Amino acid sequence: MSAASEWRPRRGLLFYRPRPGIGDYMVAVLMLVVAVASAFPLVWMVLSSLKTPAETMQVPPVWLPASPSLEAFEKVSGVINVGRSMLNSAVIATITTTGIIVTSLMAGYAFAKHRFRGRNALFALMIATMFLPPIVTLIPLYRMIGTIGLDGNLAGVILPNLANAFGIFLMRQFISGVPDDLIDAARMDGASEMRILFVIVAPLVTPAVAALALFAFVYHWNSYLWPLTVLQGNADQYPIVISLSRLLSYNRGAMNTNLVMAGATLAVLPPLVLFVFLQRFFVDSIVSSGVKG
Amino acid sequence: MLTPAVSLIGAFIVVPMVLTVWLSLQDWSTQTGFQTAKFVGFDNFREIFGATSVGRDFKGALVNTALYTLMSVALILPVSVGLGLLVYQRNVAGGNALRTILFSTYMVPMIAVALVWSKLYSPSEGPINQMLGWLGVGPQPWLSSPSTALVSIVFLNVWQQVGYFTVLVVAGLTQIPTSLYEAATIDGANGRQQFTAITLPLLKRTLLFSAVIAIINAVQVFEPVALITQGGPVGSTNVLTYHIRRVGIERAQGGLGSAMAVTLMLSLIVVIFALFAFARKGDDE
Repeated sequence: MSAASEWRPRRGLLFYRPRPGIGDYMVAVLMLVVAVASAFPLVWMVLSSLKTPAETMQVPPVWLPASPSLEAFEKVSGVINVGRSMLNSAVIATITTTGIIVTSLMAGYAFAKHRFRGRNALFALMIATMFLPPIVTLIPLYRMIGTIGLDGNLAGVILPNLANAFGIFLMRQFISGVPDDLIDAARMDGASEMRILFVIVAPLVTPAVAALALFAFVYHWNSYLWPLTVLQGNADQYPIVISLSRLLSYNRGAMNTNLVMAGATLAVLPPLVLFVFLQRFFVDSIVSSGVKG
Repeated sequence: MLTPAVSLIGAFIVVPMVLTVWLSLQDWSTQTGFQTAKFVGFDNFREIFGATSVGRDFKGALVNTALYTLMSVALILPVSVGLGLLVYQRNVAGGNALRTILFSTYMVPMIAVALVWSKLYSPSEGPINQMLGWLGVGPQPWLSSPSTALVSIVFLNVWQQVGYFTVLVVAGLTQIPTSLYEAATIDGANGRQQFTAITLPLLKRTLLFSAVIAIINAVQVFEPVALITQGGPVGSTNVLTYHIRRVGIERAQGGLGSAMAVTLMLSLIVVIFALFAFARKGDDE
């Protein structure tokens, strides 16, 4: 017993225990099955984008392209303007993300460190908006954007999303942990509140800001319903996710699956690459915001 | 400090929210300014719950959305607990790698998920029926039959989102003191007893939060319907987000669409309050 309690997990190639039992092997197999099932659709997407049109139509399906070709990626540009669509997506996601970070830092700081009447009620109202499905406000919002002349325009896509409750919540959580002494000392030195926030507080919550930036960027890169509604008909403003749907309707019924898959691969890459590099921030912030939420 | 965020959220969420409620009592075309709205009392609600085709379509969408939400939550909760245990366990290496793979699907645009799965589901050229065939299961119609289309969309959504909920469960598991398990082991409790007596009760808060998020996500399903099924076959995948947008934006029936949106919001409030009441009742026992 004493030997067992002092035993510390030594990381083997696969098992932590010195002598794995049958249960451990079952767990290992289960993990492998889950990982394969989870990755399979994206692997299939990439494989299909490298197939010939005929191969994508074969029955039973062929899994590996006989001679992988990038032809589909070249042909996508003939149907939709890939460069312009990617640029539109990047513009929407980047400006929206920047706006969200600035407005969330400011409001998060005020809610965490300023005392004022009605603070809790206002915070509760902001948080309540987090649980509102966008469809509930879609119809009047669409009319409002039309009234100020921003329909069919990237600005109309961006403007309503420059602040959100999740960002405020996340920033307040993390800024609450910054010691008051630090802020008071800066005030004594005559620093303005904006200066305190952006020069002293913000650098201390960098991991949370990074997480928020990634969440916001991925969310707005992927978002479909709102841009589709605001931009309807104005194809050169389309972000890549909307251009993709035009790939599907192009030559419907003909053999263009490899084309659709190539387009999907292009749209998936930016958020996935961001995630792979910065996943640690994503997971940490979900853990700290989700559980306490 | 508060001005930018509060005015943006006020102007683009709170004001439209109030307008939605107001418009639900008006006869109004989305093509025209708000000043053209004409007060009609509860006529819009009578119509969307009435016996005409408007009422039939809306009630169909309401039922489809309820079914869809129920199936999503019923799958996501147990699957995310199972996957969470798999990621959290410390007998076999690779838990964190598995978490990364599971969570990565959450980064994929829904539109790409819908496109890829529509091909995976393809009855003849799709790999899913091919693999079922290897297991001796006959080909399924998936998205092309009214009886299986909705559940097919549930599956692709669960595939996309379950990684997020798994991360929530893992976070919940790390909060459970290991001393509880040690004590239970000394008392001779087996794995299953430890799961039902310790793990599940202490995951309750996490699961409640997960359920709320899963419900709110489920009513937002749009891309697979808009892109692949257009609500069909035979209206079987006509869900609320798709239907409200079609009525309120495409057909420009802003009053009717707003009444539908208000109904959706009230239903959500009722369901979420019921969920909390149910959880609290469990606490008292």
